[in-house]
Amino acid sequence: MSRNLKTALVLVAIALTTFSAIIAKYWMLNG
Amino acid sequence: MSAVVDTHGQAHGDDHGYHPSGIMRWITTTNHKDIGTLYLWFSFTMFMIGGAMAMVIRLELFSPGLQWVNPDFFNQMTTMHGLIMVFGAIMPAFVGFANWQIPMMIGAPDMAFARLNNWSFWLLPFAASLLVISFFTPGGAPGVGWTMYAPLTVQMGVGMDLTIFAVHLLGMSSIMGSINIITTILNLRAPGMTLMRMPLFCWTWLITAYLLVAAMPVLAGAVTMTLTDRHFGTSFFNAAGGGDPVLYQHIFWFFGHPEVYIIALPAFGVISQVIPAFSRKPLFGYASMVYATSAIAILSFIVWAHHMYTVGMPVAGQLFFMYATTLIAVPTGVKVFNWVATMWRGSLSFETPMLFAVGFVFLFTLGGMTGLVLSLAAVDIQLHDTYYVVAHFHYVMAIGAVFAGYAGVYFWFPKWTGKMYDETLGKWHFWLSVVFINITFFVQHFSGLAGMPRRVPDYPLMFETWNKISSIGAFGFGIAQFLFLYIIIKAIRSGEQAPERPWEGADSLEWTHLPTPAPHHSFHTPPVLK
Repeated sequence: MSRNLKTALVLVAIALTTFSAIIAKYWMLNG
Repeated sequence: MSAVVDTHGQAHGDDHGYHPSGIMRWITTTNHKDIGTLYLWFSFTMFMIGGAMAMVIRLELFSPGLQWVNPDFFNQMTTMHGLIMVFGAIMPAFVGFANWQIPMMIGAPDMAFARLNNWSFWLLPFAASLLVISFFTPGGAPGVGWTMYAPLTVQMGVGMDLTIFAVHLLGMSSIMGSINIITTILNLRAPGMTLMRMPLFCWTWLITAYLLVAAMPVLAGAVTMTLTDRHFGTSFFNAAGGGDPVLYQHIFWFFGHPEVYIIALPAFGVISQVIPAFSRKPLFGYASMVYATSAIAILSFIVWAHHMYTVGMPVAGQLFFMYATTLIAVPTGVKVFNWVATMWRGSLSFETPMLFAVGFVFLFTLGGMTGLVLSLAAVDIQLHDTYYVVAHFHYVMAIGAVFAGYAGVYFWFPKWTGKMYDETLGKWHFWLSVVFINITFFVQHFSGLAGMPRRVPDYPLMFETWNKISSIGAFGFGIAQFLFLYIIIKAIRSGEQAPERPWEGADSLEWTHLPTPAPHHSFHTPPVLK
């Protein structure tokens, strides 16, 4: 795996985690 | 910067046997310069569309009473003006600069992910179309304000769904662009181009890109929750179902305040390139500029609730957000000090880019000062949602970001096109812009202090004079922007040939290592830097 791809995957993971975590958090709080 | 000029590989084109022409060149391009150009033209188009909406707003507010549009349409205008200017005009403009400049400034052949770069751009016209199409849906475009506060958003028509989808697309585009920028800067710098030798523009964009990756998913989460509240029976923001509308405000501003710096930091970067070039001096306090930019970015995540002092929060909360907000003035002050110190005893000249840069420093600082005023909870509770706030953020964004954008275009235009713009007309553009924009927004401090609320199409007679002056300024500023369009088209079509180094004080790689105009493909071989 190239260094560029590794960098991109880390950043994508941060973005997707933030997006899902914020919805999941308030979904569970409202639950 | 000490460097050995190395122009290997600059003279020939990149020949892979595929050279689409016409519209297909622009649709299929993976070249960072082409994509930068697309971003810049797109953002200017959106700037004019958002500007036209501002003209409708100012026309309606020229006199008290309802004159031209109904209140609902007025709300749609303020909403779309804000969304289009923030997401369609200012942000893409600086991504355009990033695309053009970052590879050339760090000695890279292109962006790290060239095809992703193409996709990042081509999402934008579709998102913009969705925003515009929303006007033609039943109920029209959403009239909820650019902040899209719940519960109003839950009650809007189909236009709201289109807007939510547009925000998703714009967010995806921004995140993909940011991933590209971070990867390019971290992995593709030429040998010898250490992080602390990068031009400050690259630093500000590196930090901005991290901000985008962290903040845009928060906005995406907020509008997704709005969408599920509208259509899938959830109650995130619906009090009747156990949700909380104030929660939306917290989530939105957790994105929204970093967004302010997502717009401002690249503007700081442009100004940090222009001022040293026209002062014929290196940037004063380079390292402190990098640390100040990082400090601003970090602080931007802990100040969000200063936008919502009036919703009701504990005094301890108000104090925390107040102190954190005033703290941002420190690194910002470092930056302003460094720009002024760069000019101090410099061999100054005031060509159009420098005029816009100096205008930026003066007027952005003024906007920053009113921001400090608003950061004080006791004051903000009086001024919240008044025209004082409108004046404040337009000084920072409409004047700050736009002036930095113009400084950047005039500064790099010779490098991009190989042509010189008309200096006399450029100066006219600056002076008309600076006079009319101040006429527009300075008086709004007074109407705001007197209590005029924002987002209203009608107002008491006592505010008439300030509003008339403001509208006249807005019309003048709007007309002056057509002069910019004329200057650019004239320069592209019949401008004088630009010299190799039109600004002898500019010393980043694109000026020292590349011919003018920059070749379509640059730095096939990385430059050697000592």
